[in-house]
Amino acid sequence: MQPQNGIPIDYYIWLAAALFTIGVLGVLYRRNAIIIFMCIELMLNAVNVLLVAFSTYLNDAAGQVFVFFIMAVAAAEVAVGLAILIMMYRNTKTTDINILNRLKW
Amino acid sequence: MNRSDLYSLTPLLILSSAAILNFFSISIKRNHKVIFAITVLSLIGDFIFLTSYSLYHQQHIDPLLVVDGFGIFNIGLILLTTLVVALMSYAYFEQREERKEEYYILLILAALGACIMVISKHFVSFFLGLEVLSVSLYSLIAYLRTRERSDEAGIKYLILAAFSSAFLLFGMSLIYATTGKMDFGGIGYYLTTTQDIPLIMMAGLGMLIVGAGFKLGVVPFHMWTPDVYEGAPTPVTAFIATVSKGGMIALLVRFFNAINGYQYESFTNLFTVLSIASMFVGNILALRQTNLKRILAYSSISHIGYLLVAFLSGGSMGAQATTFYLVAYFITTLGAFGIIATLSDQHRDAELIDDYRGLLWRRPLTAVAFSAMLLSLAGIPLTAGFIAKFYVITAGIGTQHWLLVFCLVVNSVIGLYYYIKIIAVMFDQKLQIKSAKELHPLVYVISSVTIAVLAVFLFWLGVSPEGMLSLIDDVI
Repeated sequence: MQPQNGIPIDYYIWLAAALFTIGVLGVLYRRNAIIIFMCIELMLNAVNVLLVAFSTYLNDAAGQVFVFFIMAVAAAEVAVGLAILIMMYRNTKTTDINILNRLKW
Repeated sequence: MNRSDLYSLTPLLILSSAAILNFFSISIKRNHKVIFAITVLSLIGDFIFLTSYSLYHQQHIDPLLVVDGFGIFNIGLILLTTLVVALMSYAYFEQREERKEEYYILLILAALGACIMVISKHFVSFFLGLEVLSVSLYSLIAYLRTRERSDEAGIKYLILAAFSSAFLLFGMSLIYATTGKMDFGGIGYYLTTTQDIPLIMMAGLGMLIVGAGFKLGVVPFHMWTPDVYEGAPTPVTAFIATVSKGGMIALLVRFFNAINGYQYESFTNLFTVLSIASMFVGNILALRQTNLKRILAYSSISHIGYLLVAFLSGGSMGAQATTFYLVAYFITTLGAFGIIATLSDQHRDAELIDDYRGLLWRRPLTAVAFSAMLLSLAGIPLTAGFIAKFYVITAGIGTQHWLLVFCLVVNSVIGLYYYIKIIAVMFDQKLQIKSAKELHPLVYVISSVTIAVLAVFLFWLGVSPEGMLSLIDDVI
């Protein structure tokens, strides 16, 4: 099985790893809860890129089916997450997670 | 899918139909008692149905699930735990003003997710089970909207759990990239055909362990545990401490047996480090706490450390010790959190140590049951915790994990200090008058009987564990 458009399969791994790392750094450094959710989405989409690339490369549909499950679950996660975020906004009037430091040690 | 597949999946179907039934019942009329009755009856019915399976039942539902003795045993454990959590939730939520009914739907769905996890043998079912469990837990943790700290606990758990799921998924996709397989058996087969594991596969397994470690709350991925334990409603805390962690352990046992992970020194070394760090960090940080829920959180971190000792021993002895430890730990943790839930009033949970000052003189039976739970957590003879710890140490010695066994013994001594400290506070004679809104006495009867039954089980397992051991021996 030839990689699509002649792009070597390694490139996909590097792309996915780069996207995933950007997501991880975003979660670690950004303080706004909405941006943190976006970064988590970025991490999940990095996984999707990798799965789709290898699904085509290995000529095996399982990877692409898994991508659909991941997308559905990510949507559910964000729906619940945004609901909790709205609840937090009502209580604190901000989406900055630095304000959440009442629970310590 | 044929009829025998359906027969094997009936416990899951009963759970999901119970959730739908609750859903419709709420849309017709909100009634806490009706929802509670549906939940409890369906959980009991599901468990009775489960006992109709033979212990040697084995049904592969390819490629996703396998319903075998080990899975059935764990499903039974999850169902009973959820039942106990539901029973103790009634009194807890009845005295709170908020809408209580949806709680039971979420609880059933979370149990469903855990059940899928323990019978999965494929990454897709593993991930779906885990997410059904986690997404339900997000809302359960933040359930008491008006209470301060519940939003914080919810957001913290949400971000960290989603973050760790992403790690888990990236690990899965890297493993898929090297092996081209997503079922545990296929990955195990790939590993038998190669001499040394490729680097990408190694990175994938590492990230898988990071993701699983977050859910288990092992050091260094334990930061969320005390915060979430403190902020969540007490019955939910009990659920997180038992079902969510136990399901993950059961899955790890299945995965490691399938890929025969015990033969790789790098993994056993990694788990050894995690286990020792969890034991020491959990116990040492627990020493200075004054909040009971946080003490139990740190104690759960160290208990996962003990569990990993049994897990690392591998083989049937290790699996047996792990399962027995899980049973004992479930009973004890449920009892302890159940007592915290019964003592809570409508404003706040009874979570400070000072709330327990002189409890022996106010509510002697509760205090005795609580002492029994704490002694079992510490591993004192005559309780289930002792037998469990004994088996863990036996398994550790049998496979010559001397360092781990040594650390376990040292940590049991450290742990004893803060458990005994709580018991000493309960014996304190200084009386405290506490006025709480009294509910109908029948409400408390449910909780009290549940705790009494748990205490009886605790001593029964501690005095004659043979029955449970032979049952576990049969299913493994």
